[in-house]
Amino acid sequence: MEFDFSPVITYFPTLIKGIGATLLIGVVVALLSILGGQIVAVISLYTRKAVNWPLRFLIWLFMTTPLLLQLYFLYFGLGQWVLIPAIAVGVLGLGFHYMAYNADIFIATIKSVSNGQYEASRSLGFGHLATIFYIILPQAFYRAIPQLGNNMIIMVKDISVLSAIGIAELVYLSQYAISVTFRPFEFYITIAAIYYLINILMETGQSWVERRAAARK
Amino acid sequence: MTTATKDTPMVELKGVKKRFGDLEVLKGIDLKVERGKIISIIGPSGSGKSTLLRSINYLEVIDEGSILLDGVQVNRPDLKGLAFERHINHIRQNMGMVFQHFNLFPHLSTLDNVTLAPRKLKGMSAGSARELGMELLERVGLADKASVYPSSLSGGQKQRVAIARALAMRPKVMLFDEATSALDPELVEEVNLVMKRLAEEHMTMLIVTHEMAFARDVSDWAMFMDDGVVVEQSTPDRLFTNPDQERTRNFLRKHLESQAVAHAHF
Repeated sequence: MEFDFSPVITYFPTLIKGIGATLLIGVVVALLSILGGQIVAVISLYTRKAVNWPLRFLIWLFMTTPLLLQLYFLYFGLGQWVLIPAIAVGVLGLGFHYMAYNADIFIATIKSVSNGQYEASRSLGFGHLATIFYIILPQAFYRAIPQLGNNMIIMVKDISVLSAIGIAELVYLSQYAISVTFRPFEFYITIAAIYYLINILMETGQSWVERRAAARK
Repeated sequence: MTTATKDTPMVELKGVKKRFGDLEVLKGIDLKVERGKIISIIGPSGSGKSTLLRSINYLEVIDEGSILLDGVQVNRPDLKGLAFERHINHIRQNMGMVFQHFNLFPHLSTLDNVTLAPRKLKGMSAGSARELGMELLERVGLADKASVYPSSLSGGQKQRVAIARALAMRPKVMLFDEATSALDPELVEEVNLVMKRLAEEHMTMLIVTHEMAFARDVSDWAMFMDDGVVVEQSTPDRLFTNPDQERTRNFLRKHLESQAVAHAHF
């Protein structure tokens, strides 16, 4: 068995582009899913059933069906009538998928903030919405950090699924390099190492954020 | 709306009733608190004294009667939805409430706990709010803790910050709901001291407490509540030394006995 990593080095600029695309998509999806997750959680907890039940149904739908199926549905399924650019489908699809998971976390952490916090804020004169915004949500956010971090780490790995609808992220571009160089083993090992590194960096970042948040719980 | 004069009571309750399901916890309470006066409310657990205080702040919705703050009606059955929300938010800005379990906001620094409400509700600039916050923290002896988070404060310190937070809205009246009940005995005094200082500054205060000595020392008027009614009220000297009612005497005797037992254990 012979290993030849020189094609990997030759195509490294291509892989770098893939890393860039993966990270960029990761940041956008993280922002979308965390912000959206909070909004969905607040609507689920604080509005009438007529509003929050359909929303809960959507969350349930996103959580019980495979991501790949959701992407195919959005891209090819809806594509029968309306052609949405692949990158929009990828970012929104992944965003909604993780928004559902993050909303689930926020629903639990919002519920965990004691009623005393709500009362203290109302007794100062803050209204219901202002109390949610200034007092409840920030505390729920700090409590959600460990699970959010884990979700985001899984999400970054799931970005590779977007290659199925032709988005030029890391795995997609490595497939292209492999099709030209015929060195799948070396490329896959390299890609795995890159994902491993991204993971380590995210975990380090997560524990740094968790340490900073610990005093605020 | 009534126009308040200096003779208008700061807080007035007329026939206040409150039920939790079938249980009537306030059975028609009448109360007048003159401005600058300090009223202590004592009574056994479940007597309704905390519910009474929480009702004044509208944290409990009363079933009957009316509550007035400086001549303005707090409960307004005629107002619904957002109109009532605006009304009650405004009313609450004039009342400072201090809770048994402090309820400081753990995600905010000590200073931000104090300045959040004046900044967001009164539109105070960051600079002025900071100045006010530091002045209030100074008053409760915690200026050096301005930048720390509540998790690193002791119970007594947390309660002092909570008092500063309530004072930051420049309230007309302060409501203390068993402010020292959750504290270790050695931390009670520092909170009592802050409350005494407020009393000396003629802040109108309603104090629900288990600290009989403190209540006697600091109040202008004392009330004994049991089973949802005011059993007896008078000057603290009289209420604590020579009460008229048998129920008051029993309560005070039991309280003294339990204190004696507690001391014996020390």
